[in-house]
Amino acid sequence: MILLSKMRILIASVVLVGLLASGAFASDLNAYTIMPEKYASQVFEAFTAETGIKVNFMRFSSGEALARVVAEKNNPQVDMILGGPADTYEAGIKEGVFEQYTPAEADMIPEKFRSPENYWTGVGIIPLVFLTNGKFLKEKGLEAPASWNDLLDPAYKNGLQMADARTSGTATERIYALVKIMGEDEAFAYQKKLHENIQMYTKSGAGGAMPIATGQAASGIFYIVDALEIQQQGHDVVLSYPSEGVSYGIEATGILKGAKNLENAKKFMDWASSKTFAQLLVDKKINYIPTRTDVVTTNPALDVSKVNLIEVDVAWKGANRKAFVDRWINEVIK
Amino acid sequence: MTQPTAPHATSKVSLLKRDPALLPALIAIWISLAIFVLYPLFRLFLTTFVVEGQLSFTNLAAVLDSWYDRQAFINSIWLATTVSVAGTFLGYVYAFAVTRIPMPLWLKWFLGAVTTLPLISPPFTSSIALTLSLGPNGILLKLLGIGNFNFYGFWGTWMSETLTYFPVSFLTLAAVLSAIDPNLEDAGLSLGASPGRVFRTVTLPLSVPGIANSFLLLFASSLADFATPLVLGGHSFPVLPTQAYLQITGMYDLRGGAALSFLLLLPAMAVYFLQRFWVGRKNYVTISGKTGSRSGFKSKGKLAEGLVLAVCFSVTGFILYLYSLILWGAIVKVWGVDNSLTMENFRYVFTHGKKAITDTLTIAAVATPLGGLMAVVVGYIAQRKRFFGNRAMEFFSMLNYALPGTVVGIAYIIAFNERPILLTGTMTILVAAYMFRYHAAGIRAVIASLHQIDPSIEEASASLGAGAVRTFFRVTVPLVVPAVLMGMRYLFIHSMTAISATIFLVSVRWSLLTTRILECMTELQFAQACAFSVVLILLVFAATAVLAGLTRFATRRISGEGGRN
Repeated sequence: MILLSKMRILIASVVLVGLLASGAFASDLNAYTIMPEKYASQVFEAFTAETGIKVNFMRFSSGEALARVVAEKNNPQVDMILGGPADTYEAGIKEGVFEQYTPAEADMIPEKFRSPENYWTGVGIIPLVFLTNGKFLKEKGLEAPASWNDLLDPAYKNGLQMADARTSGTATERIYALVKIMGEDEAFAYQKKLHENIQMYTKSGAGGAMPIATGQAASGIFYIVDALEIQQQGHDVVLSYPSEGVSYGIEATGILKGAKNLENAKKFMDWASSKTFAQLLVDKKINYIPTRTDVVTTNPALDVSKVNLIEVDVAWKGANRKAFVDRWINEVIK
Repeated sequence: MTQPTAPHATSKVSLLKRDPALLPALIAIWISLAIFVLYPLFRLFLTTFVVEGQLSFTNLAAVLDSWYDRQAFINSIWLATTVSVAGTFLGYVYAFAVTRIPMPLWLKWFLGAVTTLPLISPPFTSSIALTLSLGPNGILLKLLGIGNFNFYGFWGTWMSETLTYFPVSFLTLAAVLSAIDPNLEDAGLSLGASPGRVFRTVTLPLSVPGIANSFLLLFASSLADFATPLVLGGHSFPVLPTQAYLQITGMYDLRGGAALSFLLLLPAMAVYFLQRFWVGRKNYVTISGKTGSRSGFKSKGKLAEGLVLAVCFSVTGFILYLYSLILWGAIVKVWGVDNSLTMENFRYVFTHGKKAITDTLTIAAVATPLGGLMAVVVGYIAQRKRFFGNRAMEFFSMLNYALPGTVVGIAYIIAFNERPILLTGTMTILVAAYMFRYHAAGIRAVIASLHQIDPSIEEASASLGAGAVRTFFRVTVPLVVPAVLMGMRYLFIHSMTAISATIFLVSVRWSLLTTRILECMTELQFAQACAFSVVLILLVFAATAVLAGLTRFATRRISGEGGRN
């Protein structure tokens, strides 16, 4: 009997703690961020400073964040998502997890960077870029890759690290770009050849960047935000663009259906579409190119006026994603 | 309830009458198992096998049709087998060295302390250190002049998992070996047997339950681990947990991921039943009421001792080397570029990471005692009370442990995100996930130690008039205290370091250190990831040192009491 009463007290205390915990954070803003934590913390700090609304947030990769909000659909734990590629949002719309909202200054953002039904708003764009280890290039006497075909050079054998198409938005972006440039069958034939030089497919889009910086790997394909981060840390790396062109991702934000702090989430959407936010990206060296046209980027690496940018429709991305990933598994890595 | 009609004392009804505490304890255990083990699995089962309101095998068929998923199944079995063989061997060597070879106390402590390093740090931390050493262009490869060693895939995963999980085997086997009465070995030696023969015919057979336990724990750990293969396995070596994880997080395919995890259940259950059958049939009582006082350990032969110590010291040296890499990463500005020392990374940890630190400590501090209590009660009832359903109770208590963490996490989200049991976003869900997943080691240890304690001791207490509860707390509990503390240490370590289940359960209210480390790694904040790891390791080390001290104290008390007879 002693045993039982002890268990009873322990179980009761656990339940009590749980109840207490669930009552907290009623009038703040709760968010998942796919944008890296170091950027998201600066963004939310600025938002809190301006509006007085406290933000509780956690960072996840795009796949994890989507899996969570879908699983939590009937009892949303957060009010909104910040960052992550627009095609993740498109997949979420199909699952019915997003709420429609048109931010106050949506007009200032070109239509192609916004959801046609106003489920999400693009706050920045990020092109793909080649990232190569500088020491490797010198040792092999090579120029930085300037074409997708340069990566097929046997010099890169066992030297390429890039993201796994099953988990990473960076990887699917790579496939979209190749399909748009080469056509679908050619694009998969190219990737089959590229696979010969692959050392490792990483779980996250940025995962291969550090190995390239330290010389474990030679080169790879990344979103510019991750590549620039490595360069700014002081590593000997070279950024280059392929002449055939690259596609770009739209970094979006959107409100979840059933948000418990809906008004605060709307305030954030308004703020994230404002000039203040776009200027914050520039000032804090957060390496997204603002979607608003009335802000000037100062970092020359983010000046993509000379880069061959390929337009890829977000709805097309969302519609083809699963088929491309399945084909990637069955043809490229088999 | 019917009255017992026959004078058979062993009938179930009279067992209940004799043990008035048994029924309420059983009810409490079954209710908690129903809520935190059976219900989530049931909901997950519905997700997998019910498509649009109809029973359907389409989700499972899709998995079985895929060549990649079939390969993952084969790889999982192969990896788990090789890891548990290598890990158990290494664990036995260490346990033997510490319990059977005379060495200074500080050296014993040192060996134990170093081997817990891989256990108390999240597996991907050592993966990074291993990659820097043995991966492409790795430091050690360059030093040894080895060219193209294919580290990603089986070898890297196997090496990292073996290093991570062998301490589990070491802890299990050290507890078992130290409980074997050395007088039995001395008897063999004084009868003229060689040290080798004594080891083969006395020590080894007596440690079979421990070896079986260790094998089972390691097999299950490796089978369920997703972090290591995710970092090191690459695309060429898919295993089931990573496949399930990728299916769920990458393809947004909850049903496919659930189906993959059902495939994973088969080998886990097979090993479990094999172990029950094998160990359950032998009798390994060495602590009985009749032993004399314990004598010192005799030499086991110079060559064998030298070999055992050589293995221990080289593995220990390698582990220290790996962790000095992590420490170095934490105190320099930019790894490999700017080697000037800085405290900046630790400042980041204690400002940006403060919430994660306090959350993690709170959760572990609640889960550990609860799990320890649960382990001792479940283990005791399962081993000592031949009562209807006690096998099933033990089985379901261990089930969450055998399941890959990813699946437990997703099952918990599905089950506890809506009424009647609304728990997502609370601390309770994290505590429950850890408790019902990692008390398995405690249950195993309690059962293993009860295997070695003659029931006649408890019977003596009962025949002297003590009730079941009194016997349990005054006789049984003190005898299994080292095992329970071992289990609690294991539970605490995992509450601080595990990630696979709880990565789905963390919320904006309750965050964890491990998920912060993984975040830092995916965000290229290598230095901060190292600093977080160092802080986490120090915290766990301090707490486990306390628990280890208690274990030693308890063990000494028991052997001391044995000596007074």
